Amino acid sequence: MRLTLQMLISHGRVARRIGLGPESRINMLRNILTGLVRHERIETTKVRADEVRFYAEKLIDYAKKGDTDGKAMKMASFWLTEKDLVPKLFKVLAPRFENHSTGYTRMARIPNRENLDRAQMAVLEYKGNPFPPLYPVKKENELTLINQLLKGYREERARARVLAAEA
Amino acid sequence: MMNLSALVHSLRCSLLRIESRLLQISGLDSQLAPALAVNGPSLLPQIDQDPQQDEEQSPEQTPGLQDSILWMAAPKKRRTIEVNRTRRRAERKLIKVKTNIEPCPECGHLKQKHILCGFCYAKICKETGLIRQQIKEMEGGPLRAPPVETVVLYDGETPSEQDGGKRIVERPRKRPAWFRN
Repeated sequence: MRLTLQMLISHGRVARRIGLGPESRINMLRNILTGLVRHERIETTKVRADEVRFYAEKLIDYAKKGDTDGKAMKMASFWLTEKDLVPKLFKVLAPRFENHSTGYTRMARIPNRENLDRAQMAVLEYKGNPFPPLYPVKKENELTLINQLLKGYREERARARVLAAEA
Repeated sequence: MMNLSALVHSLRCSLLRIESRLLQISGLDSQLAPALAVNGPSLLPQIDQDPQQDEEQSPEQTPGLQDSILWMAAPKKRRTIEVNRTRRRAERKLIKVKTNIEPCPECGHLKQKHILCGFCYAKICKETGLIRQQIKEMEGGPLRAPPVETVVLYDGETPSEQDGGKRIVERPRKRPAWFRN
């Protein structure tokens, strides 16, 4: 009795079930990861993007070991189904993230898909891609009243400091 | 509902028929009949009666409900409009109010707080689509991704020192305000 209840209840289980089974899940994630490495920004369902994120970052960690490393090359050739992306991974993506230790990807939610299923979608990208940024950088407008007053105050303080230094 | 009762009735008929057949075979049903009476013809009227009964009852509108009416659930009283209203307008059946909708500071369209603005994202998608088209023309075929970085330059822009060994994608238009480096 206790054994069957354990199998039916999934409290606290963190592993997601995607696709037709574990092998199907890995194949699906492999395809999505290949697309991500090729295009550097993709949109999929939120759950798939969340799953791929872990594998994308691990792949970069393996790529950082260098293409002479046997294990890294094996991993790259397994995970990237299109073999022209393997040099791109080792020569473009690994050097790009040399100074970063974690957080090579960015995931943001977008409005639900327009289909009947209204699936929750997310956009997943590698940082440093050449495309327009998802979160536009907001430039402070210097011509607003508050900013002008603050600028005047800063200049006044600088002048007072100079006078105090001379005296 | 009707098919269920008809099915049940037919099952009962068949069970009764099997029972009577077994009794006749065993010889236990000839208690009231005389000792010299023949058992053969007594079978036929019984078989004829059952299909006759079926034919009589099938043109009726509710076969089987006369027997099964005792064990079917049915409402006892009409639900009043007050009771109906309290059920239909219960808290859990009302549409919940969303408090996480706000206007996007860039374009003014409404967006949810934790989701990117649809208009701004569509704008970005369109531009990335055009950039990717340019890249496709430059590559000239599938599976030819070069192992170099890419940088996008608009009208009147020259590559800087950082864009030394990068592949340059030219877009023949003015740089949009929301695409600062």
